[in-house]
Amino acid sequence: MVHDACIRQRSGHDMSEHDSVSRRSLLRGGLLRRGVAAVTGEITGESKGTTGAAPTSADEPRGAHAASRATLPVHRPPGAVDERSFLGGCTRCGDCIRACPADAIVLAPPRFREAAGTPMIDPSVAPCIMCADTPCISACKPAVLRRDQPLTMARASILKHACLAWNGSFCSVCSERCPVQGAIAIDAGRPRILEERCTGCGVCAFVCPAPGSAIMVMPLQDRPAVRPSGAEP
Amino acid sequence: MSTVDRREFLKASALAAATAAAARASGISLPILEPQAAPSSSAQALRWDKAPCRFCGTGCHVMVGTENGRVVAIQGDQKAEVNKGLLCVKGYHVGLALYGRDRLTQPMLRTQGRLVPISWDKALDIVADRIAADPGRFAIYGSGQWTIGEGYAANKFIKAGLGSNLIDANPRLCMASAVTGFISTFGVDEPPGVYDDLDRCDVAILWGNNMAEMHPVLFSRLVDRRARGEKVVIIDLTTRRTRTSELADQVLFFKPQGDLAIANGIAHQLVKNGTCDTAFVAAHCNFRRLGEPGADGAQPDMLGVPMTFEEYAKALEPYTPQRVEELSGVPAESIVMLGDLFGRRDRRINSLWCMGMNQHTRGTAINCLVHGIHLLSGHFGKPGDAATSLTGQPSACGTAREVGTLCHLLPGGLSVTNPGHRAIAEKHWNLEPGRLSGRIGLHAVELFKRFSTPTDQGGDITTVWVQVTNPAHTIPDLNHSIRRKAQLADKFLIVSDVYPTATTELADLVLPSAMWVEKNGMYGNSERRTQHWFKMVEPPGEARDDAWQMIAVSRRLFDRGVPGMRDKDGRWLFHTADSAGKEIPIWEWKRYYSDTVVDERLFDEYRAFSRHKHKDLAPYREYVKARGLRWPVVQNSDGEWKETRWRFTEGSDPYVAKGKGFQFYHSVTKDDRALIWFRPYEPPPEVPDAEYPFWLCTGRVLEHWHSGTMTRRIPQLHRAMPKAYVEMNHLDARALGVRSGEMVTVRSRRGEVDLPVWLGGRGDPRPGEVFVPFFDENPLINRVTLAAYDPYSKQPDYKKCAVAVVPKA
Repeated sequence: MVHDACIRQRSGHDMSEHDSVSRRSLLRGGLLRRGVAAVTGEITGESKGTTGAAPTSADEPRGAHAASRATLPVHRPPGAVDERSFLGGCTRCGDCIRACPADAIVLAPPRFREAAGTPMIDPSVAPCIMCADTPCISACKPAVLRRDQPLTMARASILKHACLAWNGSFCSVCSERCPVQGAIAIDAGRPRILEERCTGCGVCAFVCPAPGSAIMVMPLQDRPAVRPSGAEP
Repeated sequence: MSTVDRREFLKASALAAATAAAARASGISLPILEPQAAPSSSAQALRWDKAPCRFCGTGCHVMVGTENGRVVAIQGDQKAEVNKGLLCVKGYHVGLALYGRDRLTQPMLRTQGRLVPISWDKALDIVADRIAADPGRFAIYGSGQWTIGEGYAANKFIKAGLGSNLIDANPRLCMASAVTGFISTFGVDEPPGVYDDLDRCDVAILWGNNMAEMHPVLFSRLVDRRARGEKVVIIDLTTRRTRTSELADQVLFFKPQGDLAIANGIAHQLVKNGTCDTAFVAAHCNFRRLGEPGADGAQPDMLGVPMTFEEYAKALEPYTPQRVEELSGVPAESIVMLGDLFGRRDRRINSLWCMGMNQHTRGTAINCLVHGIHLLSGHFGKPGDAATSLTGQPSACGTAREVGTLCHLLPGGLSVTNPGHRAIAEKHWNLEPGRLSGRIGLHAVELFKRFSTPTDQGGDITTVWVQVTNPAHTIPDLNHSIRRKAQLADKFLIVSDVYPTATTELADLVLPSAMWVEKNGMYGNSERRTQHWFKMVEPPGEARDDAWQMIAVSRRLFDRGVPGMRDKDGRWLFHTADSAGKEIPIWEWKRYYSDTVVDERLFDEYRAFSRHKHKDLAPYREYVKARGLRWPVVQNSDGEWKETRWRFTEGSDPYVAKGKGFQFYHSVTKDDRALIWFRPYEPPPEVPDAEYPFWLCTGRVLEHWHSGTMTRRIPQLHRAMPKAYVEMNHLDARALGVRSGEMVTVRSRRGEVDLPVWLGGRGDPRPGEVFVPFFDENPLINRVTLAAYDPYSKQPDYKKCAVAVVPKA
């Protein structure tokens, strides 16, 4: 895709760096608190200084959302085995992080508890760009990222009430930039995600220009267990 | 409130009505609740006020929420007739345009190659020195983003103050052919129709017009009618498939320049089938063609010579459907269909266009032809029946065209070459008779050509002051124009702007400007609607209003005794007094906003000009109350100020006499008739050949506005559309062996740029054509474009030139 390179270079772009906080918080509901705070004037310049690298940002509090759930579903890189096997097998070596050309893979922060320190993707900061040659999988020595596993990481869904195209305006960015052919169709000018094709890479959520973003990406709760080695995928 | 979840929050803020562009200390985007939904304490803290959007010529109104001196929220203005609460993706984020991190905040002078901060006093002295040293070689270049007051101040400064017409503005690159089309046809500029036609037409014909991306809110207004069960047919005449095509009922692809043949083909059908509106034509129209060229090869006069209907019919004879198919590529049966459509009286037809028809070496001709088929078939002046040009800038109409910030105009549509018009301006400005120059100044392309030519080789412009625009990005054939300035030591470029641009990169002196709601202002949109807003926040650092900059320099020149800066009674041109008659020193920044409303003072002076061409404007205070008013705005007997929807139509336009039906009261032929023109098909100046086998078309994209200096600093927009690309047909890509994302060089006889290929993207050109958006300052596509322009409007053609596409190794 034309814009892959832009996603890769994004962190170096001076105009887009400073917004990552809002997008990040947005996808986690932090936005709401901040939005209300902006109205009531409780928080001033809170976001200053939080525009640093991704791992720091992922440490931001998640609000009520986080407290209510014991284990958060983790947005793993593509080809990840089921979560129990992943936690057992991942050596936290960081090879997949180094292999990722989009800087999309980061270490899970402490609030992920037992998953802390394992590789994850925060698509609001840097989405997976669905490389054809999956260098993260190639780099994974303990094989918790595997070619014989589905590449699907998460599911994206369009929040119609927030989508410009579904609200009388025009926009087609999510469909244009989706790296998976046919995963986002445009019918009569409005985007629709085809769930069976969506891999949850998060590019659509990252590029969505709707105020407050109109795409939610939910990590898969249950990934298939590892197949016995040698079995047909 | 913190327990409300995000979904509820978004529901509460009801995207279509209220959204979220907001910025605090870090300049990030934060949604904000609607005022009525917000807790009472915050409702008090937030202040809401109206403003037209900063970006395109649609003229949507937004509500701007401010808090503690910052714009923190934007929502569509439900009370605005233009957009009824809806905005496009740019509009929802317009507030963030103020808060890019690299706003210019202090004057800077280039010293040993670097821009070094200096004081305003010193900066203004430098400007005054340059002007005083050689006023005849000084020019101003502005834009359709000047507010009305700013444009008026600049125009008066140079025309009354310096006695020259060396001022032009970027509507020359944008709307000039629409102007010559209106003047050739109706004798006076600006559309007779309005946006109401979008709500009332049965058929919308888009002439090379990608409305879904360029005027999305207006396109919504059209397309939404389908959702209400109304039938509206959209016919997309285009050279490439666009987002607009996807919602069109018929998509007719034509070869570049083929629009001239299509319009003539439609006229030919009307005449041949006897389906002209003979009663309308007999009562209200004359026929016209161009005269012969002058002995020295000079262009024939723009207002042409008369012809009879029989001569007109004969001139159209060659434009049979078959011949038109050969010239345009549109199938003969589609030409017949269009002819039949215009021949029907029971269909309301709205033709719409923007740059496709205007950025055209025969721009005046195609504008005249489209007006012509509407007049010939009587599809004129009734709700839904109109030919309307859409403008690209928020005040291309309000400022450049109406205030006349162009090298050939005076305010109010008056002409510098007309001695009677000059006398009117001299009277309004209280100048000695004969003070104003009757010599047309330099149009944009020529102005920058002279500025980039060594002074001793005929480059007789040595200093240019650019305000609110970015010519080093947008002038065609940049390599042979303004970008040469870097090598010329004796040229001096002054740039007033809000961010670093391709033009400030070349500037010798940079002046930081206030923008949008950091100042008072008025804009005029595509449908003659004049709009007003008040200053809501302070500009950053030492940034100041463009009008103040001009006024402060004028005062310096006055103090130095430059004679043009005083009127015939010896008073300064911008003399402003309080109610007691005591002069207010508006040239001092600290007094500019404190003692008077300078914007009102400038507008009320300008307003006197508006009556000469029946473009009457209401007093300033009326615009403060309204969401814009469409001129002519005339006061009723009961004292109420009433706007006009359909111009030249009885019952709507107060200047049409009773019983006339229609009256073209500025008729070229002085008989209240409009002109139906014959203009032949003529080939474009550069066509693809073996060496340069592709047509190049350039244009905008939905997310970015013009050269992207504002929208590329809005993170959401930048992320959605981060960089330029070249769109090409997949057949051509296959033949060249390139795939999406791979880099190619796009090269013309004038220059080259490297771009990634995008196949099957937002637009899909026909085989043999490529498209490149121009917003990106890294590959400047205008290094490649052609500087050929229409002989009457002087508007360059950015839509067609020949290029080669070479894969990068």
